[in-house]
Amino acid sequence: MISIKNLKKTYKGIDAVDIAALEIYAGEVIGLVGNNGAGKTTFFRLLLDLIRANSGEILSKGHLVTVTEEWKSYTAAYIDEGFLIDYLTPEEYFYFVGKLNQLSKADVDDFLQSYQVFFDDAILKKGKYIRDFSKGNQFKIGIIAALLTKPELLILDEPFANLDPTTQLRLVAMIKQLAADHRMCIIVSSHDINHVSEVSSRILLMEKGKIIKDIAGGEAAYDEMVDYFKVKEL
Amino acid sequence: MTLSTFLAHQWHSFWRARNANKSLVLQIVLGIFYLLIFLEIAGLGIFLPLIIKESLPGKDPVVLFCSYIIYYFLVGLLFRFQLQELPSLSIQPYLTQNIKRSSMLRFLNMRSLIHVINILPLFVFIPFSVVEILPIYGTVATLCFLISMFALVVNNHFLNMYIKRKSISSSWWFFSIVIAIAILKAFDYFKILSFETTSSNLFVGLLHNPWLCIIPLAMAVITFRLNNNYLRSHLYIEELVSQRKMKVSTNYAFLDKYGDVGEMIALDLKLIFRNKRPKSLVILSGVILLYGFIFYPRYLQTGNFTMLFLFALFITGLFISNYGQFLFAWQSSHFDGMMSYNINMKQYIKAKFLLFVTVCSLQFLIASFYGFMGWHILPIQLAAFLYSIGVNSFVTIYAATYNYKYLNLSKSASMNFQGIGALQWLQSLLISFGPVGVFYLLNKFVGFWPAILVISSLGIVGLAFNEIIINWLVGQFNTRKHKILEGFRER
Repeated sequence: MISIKNLKKTYKGIDAVDIAALEIYAGEVIGLVGNNGAGKTTFFRLLLDLIRANSGEILSKGHLVTVTEEWKSYTAAYIDEGFLIDYLTPEEYFYFVGKLNQLSKADVDDFLQSYQVFFDDAILKKGKYIRDFSKGNQFKIGIIAALLTKPELLILDEPFANLDPTTQLRLVAMIKQLAADHRMCIIVSSHDINHVSEVSSRILLMEKGKIIKDIAGGEAAYDEMVDYFKVKEL
Repeated sequence: MTLSTFLAHQWHSFWRARNANKSLVLQIVLGIFYLLIFLEIAGLGIFLPLIIKESLPGKDPVVLFCSYIIYYFLVGLLFRFQLQELPSLSIQPYLTQNIKRSSMLRFLNMRSLIHVINILPLFVFIPFSVVEILPIYGTVATLCFLISMFALVVNNHFLNMYIKRKSISSSWWFFSIVIAIAILKAFDYFKILSFETTSSNLFVGLLHNPWLCIIPLAMAVITFRLNNNYLRSHLYIEELVSQRKMKVSTNYAFLDKYGDVGEMIALDLKLIFRNKRPKSLVILSGVILLYGFIFYPRYLQTGNFTMLFLFALFITGLFISNYGQFLFAWQSSHFDGMMSYNINMKQYIKAKFLLFVTVCSLQFLIASFYGFMGWHILPIQLAAFLYSIGVNSFVTIYAATYNYKYLNLSKSASMNFQGIGALQWLQSLLISFGPVGVFYLLNKFVGFWPAILVISSLGIVGLAFNEIIINWLVGQFNTRKHKILEGFRER
């Protein structure tokens, strides 16, 4: 799905992202972990061609993301509020994103119907623009809009951080199901090592731009992360 | 926490805003611009008596001046509805700090007083009083007169604030006052009841009995107290900002059949109608349509076709430069999204171009009614229209690819220079005076029709090759895409 070679992005002489080689396959759920400043968000922006790398290349299904635009048709992402058109109502926003992906209004309505539980009655028909919603609800809107397009590659930046506990657990279940049912490739970054080890089939641990651990998800990964993140000395 | 600390914070927030124009040249240019405005207004105060004596001999300037004071304050209230905002959110960070409510209230009130609209009138009243009133009525009367004027400004100020805080929409008030002014003026005009005489009697009376200035002072104190009491009992963020109306989803059915391009035009239209700054810019482009009534007759009379062409350019094409100077920056808050949704860049740029064409065609059609003033206007406006959509639209899109500054949509547009750099000034000069220069030379040395023909053909050529030009623009956009994205992320 994604193939990365010698990718490097530096800010003021410091490596923000420095990945020699990385392959990501369809059906994988990648958990990206690392402390603040490890380069997770920068990596996501590089994947979406939102910033220019200093060197190296990213191939999505064999095509350079910097040159072609095809990746947009099967990639969806939610990184921050910068992805929401905040003067639209949530419905208008969903229809807009749907239309860009050849989904009719009825398709979008059907889809929203099936995710009603996730919304918890807090999003639809509220008579508010997106800018007037709370941060957590904005996040829900962003995640649902990303799922709406039935992408093959889904990128979510710290989705658990802004959600309430119930929705966090729902999201964990959703991600697992999407990867299993649709062979969707999902990349999630998180500070919550509990959720991330549960949801991921593979965990990448970043430190100062480099991927220093590439391990399979599950209990063992959780222990390894606890070991890495624990406070070394006090 | 004293008032001066609050004000110092505001001062910092103004100068340290990320997008405050750091370029020295621009600050100097703006400084000179403001200085000129202030000087002009002060000059008006000084020369007003002379102007009155020249144009209306035999009238007492003071009496005449006084007869318009009430109108002035009524009209002033109208302007305030449009220009003044409630400075409520600036206290949000202080609400949870160890600060007394009363000092926060003082800050809110003082902060709101610092506004051009409160300071400018003084530049008229003070010079006028010193030049005209002081020699006749003496120091005490002049001082009391000035105190009354100042009190009335303050009164107007807090009245506006109070109305804005109390009612969801001030437009009802706005139109009632417009109607009130119209009725009063009509009474004056038909000599049923002279409101101007009332006004001059009142204020000349005040000059004779200076102690009467306690009445305006009392009015100012009352509106201030009203405002203050209201604030004291409503010092919660959600109650300070004006209440929200229920928002509804809309769909522009007529754009549906144009696919993704139509969808993006609809998005731009919603952006315009739902955000303060673009809305006021677009309303301005609409108001410009009325310029024809003021300027066309004058230049038709003298046969000055170049000036007619200049105004025709404004009237048919101002939307392009007004909206287009921030073409991408309008979407800066969600540009990350725009660049990763499934949007083809060519369609994206094309949608922008078609938006220009649609709005300008509308303006052109409406403006065609000016043809009644004289047939010359029709070919001139047609040429200006074709040039606007065929050349200026592309130039504007090109220039927009060099605009890397984030724009806050919710701030009002008047006197707002956020996101404006030297490039925008240069661009607006180029797209208006470039074609006017060409028109002038051709009209002078070759003739009227060749000038019309050349300008129109330039536009038609641009329209004919729009596919090629748009492809080129997409390339230009893509080479600077990352720079634009980076700039927009810096808030």
